[in-house]
Amino acid sequence: MKTCRLISLAAACNLAAVAFSPAFAAEAGDPVAGKAKTSMCIGCHGIGGYRTAFPEVYSVPKLGGQHATYIVKALQEYKSGNRSHPSMRAIAAGLSDKDMADLGAYYAADSARTAAK
Amino acid sequence: MNKRILAVCLTLPLSLPAFAGDPEAGQRKSQPCVACHGPDGNSTSAEFPKLAGQHYDYLVKAINDYKAGGRKSPIMAPMVEKLTVRDIEDLAAYYSSRKGLVLKY
Repeated sequence: MKTCRLISLAAACNLAAVAFSPAFAAEAGDPVAGKAKTSMCIGCHGIGGYRTAFPEVYSVPKLGGQHATYIVKALQEYKSGNRSHPSMRAIAAGLSDKDMADLGAYYAADSARTAAK
Repeated sequence: MNKRILAVCLTLPLSLPAFAGDPEAGQRKSQPCVACHGPDGNSTSAEFPKLAGQHYDYLVKAINDYKAGGRKSPIMAPMVEKLTVRDIEDLAAYYSSRKGLVLKY
């Protein structure tokens, strides 16, 4: 009986995983297309040691080597308002799912154009 | 008098430490983080962000945002709920000292 319950729990988990994962993984990103879409990103994320100015001061996050799936997830959260950040929300609002996937693929990919800092 | 105040104002930022936080203490405190973020902050699961090499002050901000609700995550909210300012600084010092994320432009 206990085994039965475990098996059905496992099955439910699998179903849930199948149901929810495509939300972030559906679009396959193209790193080359992503590179062409970084013009709005590089002014902050492409400058070593760049810091926000207002209302809080902190270094903007490094994106090089981050998981593509996570970058897409973060952009979706900015777009939906689950992450509050005025400029990122405005930028993410203008991105399609394909744009996000491309940007994720670009930043995740190893590249010679990276620096240690 | 005014010059003295000005001198204090100008030198004050220089005397503040670049960051607080003890990376060794942070490593000890990072045990609950390992399952998702990996042993050194280089997570192997694409759902969870790599933290290794991220900026110290960005890590502090991100944790504080989860705490305050500016970032909503049912996973992270209970994880950071009981962290003190010192815990957050130690964790940020640990993960920012690891090799991982890089600046990409």
